[in-house]
Amino acid sequence: MSPRRTDTGGRIDRLKTIRFTFDGAAYTGHAGDTLASALLAKGVTLYGRSFKYHRPRGLLTAGVEEPNALVTVLKGEVREPNIPATMVEIHDGLVAISQNRFPSLAWDINAVNQLGGKILSAGFYYKTFMGPVFGPLKGTRFWMFCEHFIRRAAGLGSAGSAKDPARYERMNAFCDVLVVGSGPAGLMAARAAADQGARVMLADLEPRFGGSANWSDETIDGAPAADWARRTVAQLEGRDNVRLLPRTTVWGYYDNNTLAALERVSDHKEQPGKGEPRHRYWAIRAKSVVLATGAFERPLVFPGNDRPGVMLAHAAERYANEFGVLPGERIALFTNNDSAYRAAIALKKAGAAVVAIADIRPELSPEMRKLAAEAEAEIFAGHAVVATEGGKALSGLKLQRFDMTNGALIGDARSIHADCLLMSGGWSPTIHLASQAGAKAEWNAARQAFLPPKPTQSWIGAGAFTGSFSTLEALAEGRAAGLAAAGGQSTPAVLPVVEAVPGDPDPAPVFEIRAKGKSFVDFQHDVTAEDVRLAHREGFVSVEHLKRYTTLGMATDQGKSSNVPGLAIMAEALGKPIPEVGTTRFRPPFAPVSIGSLAAERFGDLRPERLTPMHDWHLANGATMYSAGLWYRPMIYGHAGETVEQAYVREAKATRDSAGIVDVSTLGKIAVQGPDAAAFLDRVYTNMFSTLAVGKARYGLMLREDGLAFDDGTTWRLGEQDFLMTTTTANAGKVMQHLEYFLDVIWPELKVHVTSVTDEWAGAAIGGPKARQILAACVTGTAVDNATLPFMGIVRGEIAGVPVMICRLSFSGEMAFEVYCGAGHGTHVWEALVEAGKPFGLVTYGLEALGTMRIEKGHVTGAEIDGRTTARDLHLDWMLSKKKPFIGSAMMDREGLIASDRLELVGLIALDNKPLNGGAHIVEEVDEANPHGSIGHITACCYSPALGKHIALALVKAGKARQGTRAHVSDPLRNRFGPVEIVSNHFYDPEGTRMHG
Amino acid sequence: MLITCPYCGPRDVIEFTYQGDGNRERPDPASQNFEAWNAYVYDRLNPAGDHNEIWQHSGGCRTHLRVVRNTLTHEISSVAFAHGGHGSAARRKAEDKS
Amino acid sequence: MVERQSPLEPEFHVGSHGNFEHGVEIILTETRPGSIVQLAAWPGEEKKLIAAIRTVAGLALPDGAGGGLSDGVKSVFGFAPGKFTVADEVEGLAAAFAKVVTPIIGTVTDLSHGRTAIRIAGPKAEWVLAKFFAIDFALPAFPIGAGRSTTHHDVFAQIQRTGADQFDIYVFRSFARSFWKALCHASEEVGYEVQ
Repeated sequence: MSPRRTDTGGRIDRLKTIRFTFDGAAYTGHAGDTLASALLAKGVTLYGRSFKYHRPRGLLTAGVEEPNALVTVLKGEVREPNIPATMVEIHDGLVAISQNRFPSLAWDINAVNQLGGKILSAGFYYKTFMGPVFGPLKGTRFWMFCEHFIRRAAGLGSAGSAKDPARYERMNAFCDVLVVGSGPAGLMAARAAADQGARVMLADLEPRFGGSANWSDETIDGAPAADWARRTVAQLEGRDNVRLLPRTTVWGYYDNNTLAALERVSDHKEQPGKGEPRHRYWAIRAKSVVLATGAFERPLVFPGNDRPGVMLAHAAERYANEFGVLPGERIALFTNNDSAYRAAIALKKAGAAVVAIADIRPELSPEMRKLAAEAEAEIFAGHAVVATEGGKALSGLKLQRFDMTNGALIGDARSIHADCLLMSGGWSPTIHLASQAGAKAEWNAARQAFLPPKPTQSWIGAGAFTGSFSTLEALAEGRAAGLAAAGGQSTPAVLPVVEAVPGDPDPAPVFEIRAKGKSFVDFQHDVTAEDVRLAHREGFVSVEHLKRYTTLGMATDQGKSSNVPGLAIMAEALGKPIPEVGTTRFRPPFAPVSIGSLAAERFGDLRPERLTPMHDWHLANGATMYSAGLWYRPMIYGHAGETVEQAYVREAKATRDSAGIVDVSTLGKIAVQGPDAAAFLDRVYTNMFSTLAVGKARYGLMLREDGLAFDDGTTWRLGEQDFLMTTTTANAGKVMQHLEYFLDVIWPELKVHVTSVTDEWAGAAIGGPKARQILAACVTGTAVDNATLPFMGIVRGEIAGVPVMICRLSFSGEMAFEVYCGAGHGTHVWEALVEAGKPFGLVTYGLEALGTMRIEKGHVTGAEIDGRTTARDLHLDWMLSKKKPFIGSAMMDREGLIASDRLELVGLIALDNKPLNGGAHIVEEVDEANPHGSIGHITACCYSPALGKHIALALVKAGKARQGTRAHVSDPLRNRFGPVEIVSNHFYDPEGTRMHG
Repeated sequence: MLITCPYCGPRDVIEFTYQGDGNRERPDPASQNFEAWNAYVYDRLNPAGDHNEIWQHSGGCRTHLRVVRNTLTHEISSVAFAHGGHGSAARRKAEDKS
Repeated sequence: MVERQSPLEPEFHVGSHGNFEHGVEIILTETRPGSIVQLAAWPGEEKKLIAAIRTVAGLALPDGAGGGLSDGVKSVFGFAPGKFTVADEVEGLAAAFAKVVTPIIGTVTDLSHGRTAIRIAGPKAEWVLAKFFAIDFALPAFPIGAGRSTTHHDVFAQIQRTGADQFDIYVFRSFARSFWKALCHASEEVGYEVQ
């Protein structure tokens, strides 16, 4: 067990011990540890098994880019897979398990996959599961046969199926300056912008602000950099104009400087606080953004570079300096650049032996030689690592002389005993957000890196993000960026003084050491350098195709460490320079995002409920509610033991026998007011409204511009310039927008205002032979007799002390009235009507009975006004005024809309006395074996208590002419075939004697 | 995407409803010119670049806006009330002063 | 006078809720104004409408498109070009305006039953509202008295700032209970009291 905790140093609290389990074993760590650092301190070297080959893998990094050490965190029954152990903060009671191994991490049966490396090469799926026939199994069926096994063997952690009880939330935020990243550049930018009085948000995906200051071991203004960071954060914390967001990953950069971020609010706690969300999704609209996202160190590609114990140089530096953990005791380094020397010093200081530094470059600067001497490390200039040794932990490595001009290996290999190998292949600026914001990155030959593009949106870069890798540059750029982002003019604060190890930021242009053995490029997807070359040999020349064929960079880490080495190898294979090969465009999210956070408050509760004023009364009186759009409406008021059909038949029958009352508050209601209101209605309705007398209502039909039917309803003239329009429940919003559009865009000269008053009025429709008597019994202030309240007349009066408006109109076909009152009095009036109706046998009825009575009457609803039917199809052509143009009038007479074989509204009666089904087809001749020849379909159906038959409304080709003939329903899905008679849609009381009284 | 409503200020696109091509011209209501009606109802420009569009701020003040949006970049170069009469109702000057 | 039923009733639980042990940072209540009226001027007649508001409600709005005021009893704010919402503790505002806002000036629409007014106050009011609405609630961007029209999914809302940390939200009555429940839920983390 070579890794261990140092006695001093690091930003952890050694006095606070935290207990957790990993793969069932109990561990302890300290406050400030990640799962990775805590396990590493306990000597754990094996963290996961690789995706395809099930190779043992250790920690490669210390941060969000970790490709190997993915774990599943269990919270009760809920499991969250594929979280980098480097991003899990330990807390008491944390339960984490490793992934992609069976039966255990140490002994994994699928590790035999390593032997079949040739088969599992690039394009494995494409090559294996297409084309030839394997015995009885065709290619695709063979694939399906294998899929089960492959899915078990290859891959990541498995998702759970338990319901996630956690809370997720969305936050909308606005700021002048959003600073992404809180390293020296980000902190400086935040401070500079805040000093200007700007509203600043500072987000960092780590729990600790400070970035590299937490582990660089540099000094800023004479104090350790970490102290400088802490002080700066403390200053920012105290300011009203600054919001600090630790544990917050800015993952998306969208149009108009809208950014998306994920805050992990309570993952690091044993229990979230009361009402506290687990994750918070921040939608941030920033006037400008400072991108101080730093850079990712790149691995070198050489055989055995994935063995546990091989780690990025800065990661080891971070474990030592930030977490007080030594990743090994005998440490070797392999680098193509100067930055690794700083790691050598850090590890030496922390107590490890640095046994060797293999540097690809033949010539080293005196500064680097001095650093190596300080670390007491033997230098191997012009050398490369060609192999690593060991099983689940590194035991040694082989070095060979290397010519970086041609990649040749010279002389004999030399073995070095080491338990940890640190590598550094240079640095890639974290340009993901800038790339998402819209422009292409530019290759910089000196830095051997893609640098951020010219901004296409309002952002400014600072620090390592721009390729400026020194802390001094980061501070200067951060200050400038913060100032500029805040639009500041005043003299900036003095730059702090930095003491840092020297170093040249430019690496040698070497990405790969070609030697025998598997050299990994993408650790998470097990893509090797040879896979990349194979893809090239097989004809993939575009970097986008390379990516898809090899799956390079397509794992959950999105190639944070592998993209550039992969490109470099591809470029070499193509014989082209890297900029000509180009890079893939980064897309959101930067790092995985919980789906819960995207659903946010809609998680588990998708839609708001819309309730009528009488909702609670319905519930208390036995209604079964039915959701109609967002509304909830009574479907039936069932009695004990009744089926739905029995209930609605009873309700409909009682209404026709005596009286029924139904809640119609959901009907769309629009106040149409103004001097031109009548003229406006003449234009939007097919029939005339300017001729309607005050105190009267009229049924109206609207068409769309293309001449098809749109919506219907009654409109009441309450005053000369004051109309109350009603619409169908479903179309209320659409009709409102339709009216607003014409008033705002087409006819701005009309003085008309439209206002949604749906919610202002409670509505009850009371109908049946006794309806008038019931009203007479409870209405005061007006008579309701035929003279005072004729058909389509409106009166005002009171019920139980509440002002009401009553219109005599009928949907049920009975003598019926709609009673409207202020919504806050809805239940009061409803109860009064129900009470007054008791002696008359009044029933409450729901949507089912309402639908039944409307089918019996042959009235149309949205099922018939389906966006394809015309007024004529629905026999509403009597409503098409010839005296005026109206919306749709110019287009309604087009050839296709007046053809004789159009689907027309008819009624159907089941001749076999069995129920009919909505959506069933109508045919002339039944052919059960081969259903065909549809002449139409059923739009609505019911059992009609009035007729004692199963009836339906249907749209049937040339339906009017077929009335009186027979046809058949053909409903193969529900196996319903049978004879029907085609009749008029007006089944019941076609003359309307009942409603006219 | 944000649209700057002349009354409400910049708002998220989810508050708006696209209400079609702003280049359409509705023929005289009484016109029987079928070609003109057909063009109005069905013909749409589909430019790669600046496009005249009508948007309703349906989740806000509910006014209709004439928006010039670049279909390639989403960049919005102009927003104005569709209703000429609102011209003087530009955004909240009074409020900003108060 | 028959008392109006609140749409919130079954979900209106007076007292402290959520994380209130650490202090109540939100106060939720239904203001139940007697009158809520929408006034809309024809283009060019806005000043006359503003004058009418001064006459009837005694609230002197600045000339122009937006702006709003509240005296604790009556409130007014612009929510669209030429359009204002006026609320009063007592009933009868629509009738009073109908006498003054002639057809030449514009229209009066009574929404006293149709809108529900919910007040959210306290140091975390901006924080909780930001969970729902994609508008900037910071005081400089949303001054006292001003109104905003916005939406949370399907719930349309007019919001007036009636104090440094106090907002009155007018929502459609049919959505009010659903919105109220969501507002309570969102307030749990900071501790809230229903009054």
